[in-house]
Amino acid sequence: GQEKDKYIAPSAERGWNDPPQFSYNLQNARGQQKGHLTRRAAPPTSSGNTSTTTVNLKSVAAPPTIPLGSNPLAPPPCSLAPPPRLQAGPPTTTTPPVQPGSQEEEGGGDQTQCEPDVEVVLSSLNRALATCRQSVKDQVCNDVEKRLLLLDDSWRAGKLSLPVRRRMEALSLELRAGHWDSANEIHRSLMVDHVTEVSQWMVGVKRLIAETRNLNPELLEQLQDTSVTDQDSDLLQG
Amino acid sequence: MSTYQEFIQQNEDRDGVRFSWNLWPSSRLEATRLVVPVSCLFTPLKERPDLPPVQYEPVLCSRANCKAVLNPLCQVDFRAKIWACNFCFQRNPFPPSYAGISEANQPAELMPQFSTIEYIVQRGTPAPLIFLYVVDTCLEEEDLQALKESLQMSLSLLPPNALVGLITFGRMVQVHELSCEGIAKSYVFRGTKDLSAKQIQEMLGLSKPMASGQQGRPVAPQDASAFCRFLQPVHRVDMNLTDLLGELQRDPWPVPQGKRPLRSTGVALSVAVGLLEGTFPNTGARVMLFIGGPPTQGPGMVVGDELKTPIRSWHDIQKDNARHLKKATKYYEALANRSAVNGHSIDIYACALDQTGLLEMKCLSNLTGGHIVMGDSFNTSLFKQTFQRVFSKDYNGDFRMAFGGVLEVKEMGVGGTSQWKVCSLNPSTTLGLYFEVVNQHNAPVPQGGRGAVQFVTQYQHSNTQRRIRVTTIARNWADAQSQIQHIESSFDQEAAAVLMARLGVFRAESEEGPDVLRWLDRQLIRLCQKFGQFNKDDPTSFKLSESLSLYPQFMFHMRRSPFLQVFNNSPDESSYYRHHFVRQDLTQSLIMIQPILYSYSFYGPPEPVLLDSSSILPDRILLMDTFFQLVIFHGETIAQWRKAGYQEMAEYENFKQLLQAPLDDAQEILQTRFPMPRYVDTEHGGSQARFLLSKVNPSQTHNNLYAWGQETGAPILTDDVSLQVFMDHLKKLAVSSSA
Repeated sequence: GQEKDKYIAPSAERGWNDPPQFSYNLQNARGQQKGHLTRRAAPPTSSGNTSTTTVNLKSVAAPPTIPLGSNPLAPPPCSLAPPPRLQAGPPTTTTPPVQPGSQEEEGGGDQTQCEPDVEVVLSSLNRALATCRQSVKDQVCNDVEKRLLLLDDSWRAGKLSLPVRRRMEALSLELRAGHWDSANEIHRSLMVDHVTEVSQWMVGVKRLIAETRNLNPELLEQLQDTSVTDQDSDLLQG
Repeated sequence: MSTYQEFIQQNEDRDGVRFSWNLWPSSRLEATRLVVPVSCLFTPLKERPDLPPVQYEPVLCSRANCKAVLNPLCQVDFRAKIWACNFCFQRNPFPPSYAGISEANQPAELMPQFSTIEYIVQRGTPAPLIFLYVVDTCLEEEDLQALKESLQMSLSLLPPNALVGLITFGRMVQVHELSCEGIAKSYVFRGTKDLSAKQIQEMLGLSKPMASGQQGRPVAPQDASAFCRFLQPVHRVDMNLTDLLGELQRDPWPVPQGKRPLRSTGVALSVAVGLLEGTFPNTGARVMLFIGGPPTQGPGMVVGDELKTPIRSWHDIQKDNARHLKKATKYYEALANRSAVNGHSIDIYACALDQTGLLEMKCLSNLTGGHIVMGDSFNTSLFKQTFQRVFSKDYNGDFRMAFGGVLEVKEMGVGGTSQWKVCSLNPSTTLGLYFEVVNQHNAPVPQGGRGAVQFVTQYQHSNTQRRIRVTTIARNWADAQSQIQHIESSFDQEAAAVLMARLGVFRAESEEGPDVLRWLDRQLIRLCQKFGQFNKDDPTSFKLSESLSLYPQFMFHMRRSPFLQVFNNSPDESSYYRHHFVRQDLTQSLIMIQPILYSYSFYGPPEPVLLDSSSILPDRILLMDTFFQLVIFHGETIAQWRKAGYQEMAEYENFKQLLQAPLDDAQEILQTRFPMPRYVDTEHGGSQARFLLSKVNPSQTHNNLYAWGQETGAPILTDDVSLQVFMDHLKKLAVSSSA
């Protein structure tokens, strides 16, 4: 299945005040915006009140367990009074926490997935290319082939990270199944999230999807028949 | 008061309109006495997932100088099949296709809930979208690599039928021929010499344009690519263009010690504009300019190549010491106007640690509806993600960008219409429109008791359809003599604040700074004098009704904002902030004027707090949103707890959640806002705490509380005092019988 990565682990030092990087999937899963950061505090009443009261704090329900405005000459942090404990303090109404900067499932995750097989992935792609050769211009097919070779080389040389390998596996399955839009989405997510790793060859995969989906029905059928006969492969767990 | 709030919100949700006054004064004299003009913020393409477009042409009034669109305010005789235009009172027959309408069977455009309605119209062959990348190659290696990758990535986000082109520049300007085979060819132009559009077109070997003038009859995609080697469909050239981009090198011209690279931005843009003018006039197109530094040679240069001569600051400009400013601005304005005439928009993506000349070049985007994105380097997530969001899609899977917008505004009793061109629009683009009431004083309230305004926006949708969106609104006239309290309760202080602020920015860009503050103060004092309830010369008696109570605070913050206080920022930064301020919708504009501040603590749910230093407390976390920055500030005690690691301990899980809460809330903003804001995570004593402190604290150096204007003797409110002192001073001036 497709990973729903929350954040992409920052690879290099972030620039000054650089915001966190969101994955393609997370950015597109906008949904209904709560937009709850739009209220303002009421100004002090205009009846000539000159005290600088903060009108915004609710009356304190439970007394704080640390002294406010602690003495700057107080002993160092080891004798700092701790924050309210989980049981004692009033519950905060926060949304369920999302871990920031969580690493991608490098071998983790809740499903044990086997390592994608480069042979299987490339053979799917090459099969599609072979079918395309029957109707698509040679020049284009050669260009695609060049890039599939690059993909193959990079993969075998260990240059591709696990998320990229996993998504390429998923992409090849979608392509095989004729789910063109899905396959395209995966290609886009890879270009957005992992451009450095994939830019050299991904455009070839993109073109392969585009040309394959435009094949005339007989050729497509031909392609899908051969895919079906090879289906004893172990990859359909998704 | 609360009913007006609902009314205001409903109208904004449905029509994308917020008026300063929702009851209109019935004479010009009374309108000027209201201080804030009758004006509105209008979002032409407000996202309306609940509004399906209709697939027929709008019905127009037959009077030649009217041509208003049929709308819910029109009187209809269903039996005679005639409608009366509510703007000019002309009686019009319905077209034959409306023969079946009746009271019970009304067309959508007559129904009140369709006061905003969108028509899809057929106007010839749909034209492809065009994206022309203009890329500075005088970048550091790492920066250039990151930019190249972003451009390659964007090819995957473009629609397959879109046309794409590439111009690169440094000392020379190169126009790349895009083909799917053979050797890559390019045409090279000297960066020092400007050429006319005709010369550019001749040198590029372009034949006469195929898209004709007026109606903008667009070219069928296959014809287009056949004749223009420089703008080709993505689906055809993506592989080659990806390679071409991958192979781009830094500008080879060596940069000696103590010099800036020779950057010919002016000529590069001239070639881009000329290329599009000569091939696709009147079609939706985006020129996307990527720069890593200022233009240093040729027409439009902003600074010379000697590093010891710094780029102009506000002080230089004030002392008339910016030698390239006028000439460069004029040069880019001419290009911008040509582009706008053709319906082409220009984006500027400027990533550099120093200024890049946005002050001179801002007209390119401002006049064409293009974006300005400013960052430190192309190798930052701020640039990468902001750039991705240019291509973000809506709930239908279409791009959130529209082209070739023409807005017409029609008002009652006024012959003809006013028209504006907005070459590029998105769902949040918001215009400020200012109206003048023309009735003579004491003339009777116009027939029907209501004034009406119709906004007609024609545009090219990103899916290439031509569409027309029509919004028709009405408000009651009121006699200011007898109904002043009703008019007062119809005041929309949020809209008024933004509309006045926009006027302030407009004045600031054409006048000296202090005069704008004086003007803003004077309007605020006048408004308080008009609508405040008080006893003469008794400041403590001063009160404002609820519909105006927040307005002075908005003005206080506006005076301190980077839109009017320029000396804390570079001219480029000021241009950047102002660019975004005058095009955002109301909610975002208000955030820019008066940043939002939320407080997180153990004592209750997160809540908004005053933008004041008294809100900074040791056991609170603050989240501040200024639109351009998101700042998370940890109070002293919170910071100490965090440093001590309590969040790692199981029994202090709630502390961990407290730390996480503002991050979660910030995430929603970070995920959607364009441009992406800077993100500051800081704490008490941190060097970056200054972002928060400068917003909440007045400067400590300003000592005199009551300053009176020197030349004119007009009273002004002082700069850099707390809100409390500002309000006290305002009340004093408002109630004074000598003011």
